[in-house]
Amino acid sequence: MITCKEVSTLLASDQVQSQKWWRRAEIRLHLAMCNFCSRLARQLEQLRSAARQSSQENEAGAGLEERLLRRLSKH
Amino acid sequence: MTPAIPITEGFLDRLRKREPEALAEAVNDHARALYRAARALGFAEPEAEDLVQDVFITFLEKLDGFEGRSLLRTWLFGILHRKALERRRTSKIQDRTDAIEDVLESRFDERGNWSRPPADLERLFLSKELGEMIRNCMEGLPSNQREAFVLREVEGLETGEICELLDVSSTNFGVLIFRARTRLRECLELKGWSRS
Repeated sequence: MITCKEVSTLLASDQVQSQKWWRRAEIRLHLAMCNFCSRLARQLEQLRSAARQSSQENEAGAGLEERLLRRLSKH
Repeated sequence: MTPAIPITEGFLDRLRKREPEALAEAVNDHARALYRAARALGFAEPEAEDLVQDVFITFLEKLDGFEGRSLLRTWLFGILHRKALERRRTSKIQDRTDAIEDVLESRFDERGNWSRPPADLERLFLSKELGEMIRNCMEGLPSNQREAFVLREVEGLETGEICELLDVSSTNFGVLIFRARTRLRECLELKGWSRS
């Protein structure tokens, strides 16, 4: 039977989808029964969407494309 | 997220002829994503813009050698990766071991069950300061882990594309993203404890 340590490692390393179908079924079953592993899975998803959200503050100001094209036209 | 645009032979030809409309198309579709990634990798505003400009200059210089097998974004992010490495003068060689693995190891007993399970972070994920906390935690990531995380989780590139542009195997990518996510989650958990 798959352990919590194996499940959490596969989740965090993006390796679940590359597992054989029976292994993926085992992981799904484990997540349905284990509160802590399903909490970790949820937190990894939340981490992704929060990182996406926070990167919006890194958006370039207006005129980036125009400035770049102006400078690139000299090359 | 960055659009996944395949490069057609016609588009490549227009770029090689330096058609202003073709260049504008490439810049309009990708400049903001490249800038966002450069900022997320820790470059300050003026340097991030300078870096993106550098990416497009190299892109134009190397156009003749490009065979059009990749997506345009894979190619551009690949140039960004190499330029960022040059500027930081850091090595892309991956450490064989990482302290974060010991931290995770300590959370399990010898049978692989949780001995110190992940804390409940629901309140923290709803907090207004979450964005600032994440940016703060990302600053603590080693540059190769930070890059893998930004490309995969923020820009939504496919694993195969990231492996191609970072020049790593899918196993190595798995290690990088595992370490990045684990380190970020641990960092947020620590911040969660210090707030409560």
